[in-house]
Amino acid sequence: MSIRKKSPWILHYNCGSCNGCDIEILACTGPKYDVERFGIINKGNPKQADILVVTGPVTKRTRARLLRLYMQMPEPKVVVAVGACACTGGVFRHMYNVENGVDRYIPVDVYVPGCAARPENILKGIALALEIWEKKTKDTIEIPTVIKKEYEKIVAKMLMHGQVVDRRKIIYDLVSKYIQRKLETPKCD
Amino acid sequence: MGNKMIVPFGSQHVALPEPVRFVFETENEIITNVEVDVGYVHRGIEKACQTKIGYKQVAYVVPRICGLCSISHNMAYIIAIEKLLEFEAPKRAKYLRVLAHELDRIHSHLFAMAHVAEAAGYENLVMYLFRDRELVMECLELLTGNRVQFDYGCIGGVNRDLTPEVEKELRKKLKKLEERLFWFRDVYLNDYTLNLRWKGVGVIPKEMAEKYNAAGPVARGSGVRTDARAEFDALPYRELGFEMVVYEDGDIWARNMVRMDELLISMRMIWNVLDGLPEGNYKENVKGMPKGEAVCRWEAPRGELFYHVRGDGKQILTRMRVKTPTFSNIPVLKELFIGANYADVPAIIISFDPCLSCTAR
Ligand code: SF4
Repeated sequence: MSIRKKSPWILHYNCGSCNGCDIEILACTGPKYDVERFGIINKGNPKQADILVVTGPVTKRTRARLLRLYMQMPEPKVVVAVGACACTGGVFRHMYNVENGVDRYIPVDVYVPGCAARPENILKGIALALEIWEKKTKDTIEIPTVIKKEYEKIVAKMLMHGQVVDRRKIIYDLVSKYIQRKLETPKCD
Repeated sequence: MGNKMIVPFGSQHVALPEPVRFVFETENEIITNVEVDVGYVHRGIEKACQTKIGYKQVAYVVPRICGLCSISHNMAYIIAIEKLLEFEAPKRAKYLRVLAHELDRIHSHLFAMAHVAEAAGYENLVMYLFRDRELVMECLELLTGNRVQFDYGCIGGVNRDLTPEVEKELRKKLKKLEERLFWFRDVYLNDYTLNLRWKGVGVIPKEMAEKYNAAGPVARGSGVRTDARAEFDALPYRELGFEMVVYEDGDIWARNMVRMDELLISMRMIWNVLDGLPEGNYKENVKGMPKGEAVCRWEAPRGELFYHVRGDGKQILTRMRVKTPTFSNIPVLKELFIGANYADVPAIIISFDPCLSCTAR
């Protein structure tokens, strides 16, 4: 987990934009703005991505792809909508083949305005996305301190006795015990 | 008979900046058939321009067809409308239009060349190109006020004047850029790896380019002499020292060299504009409503752009049609793939510098 925290990978999908925002995203990876100093790499594989960067107002043909890419990304994931037309439809609003913004189909966490969005703004959007991503990570995998302490005790004991330590099994046992205890204790309200 | 295999490429792919879908049928890594689907980003801009947007606002909607050559769309439309209104822009405006357009060409070509270098696995060169591209972007920002969507031209002239302070900055930045361009030309001409990767790959013979009606650097890389700027009299290209660049080889390398040399020619025209900028108005009021029919041929960075407008004296045009350069290059691209090695596909596609948001609109 700590590796992902330090270098999130982004997946960029163009669903009908004019390329204006896309070239600004690429300019961000260039030497002047350089997102790679934060360990951010632009990768084309949804299965390895943490942040989905979407540009464009979502045309009727790209929406299925967008949903599929979104589904394929592992949890936790953050969506950044870059550009006026990804946020609301922009100039393309109410044109006949356009769906007026990304948030009609997938939940968006950060909106970056501008037509075209400036690289500085995109950087800020991605930094915000990182914060949100970290928060989401904590929500999903927070291990109670009780378990951590118990785990350390057990491991120390086993090491002292010279036993083979199967860490995964220990955690599994502890977590299932913890959940059972939680279920058994009556709520006090 | 070898293994038959169907390889989908796109619509979302690492080597592709844009959604386009190719389905390749391959046999032992050699492509036997290919299908192209370009319609992912169709938005319906033409329809909207004919039904609900007034003709003056259309000038700021058409740049959103494509971000890389936004200024080409903007100006081609404006010139077509000016023909309808029988108006001729002031001389200073014409010079400024050339200036903005050539700067845009430099940024677009540098971008395309960076992509081709990336497909060859030359990461250093990509970063160098991107670094120097920022110089042009800064110039464009100084001149027009925005980095990508300039909205610089308007019916009657241009929206901003070139002030002496900006001119001074431009000169400083362009001087730096020009030195770098010579260095890049040296790399592209003489680098061993790049020549190995690009020479003789994806060759388009001259007959094929003529038969399939290729446009822009693709055609000029195969020895076809076509450039709309040479026959264009709405802007003073010949006066500013325009010259056509033609290479005969027809491979990826030649296409790149065409782009490279065009950069130097653009640079020369920019210096000429800055040195000989005439005094006068940069914008004039235009009266009247568009009535009748007009066309405009315009040399965008990727080839010939074509605008057709028709109005009947009302605010809203009755017909607006755009034909974009990438659209004319798709047939030759398709033909070229058959018989090529699958490993060359990304390099070939990117050497065409396709702009799909133009094609689908
Ligand atoms: S916000 Fe503007 S520049 Fe960005 S993709 Fe949309 S139309 Fe293009």
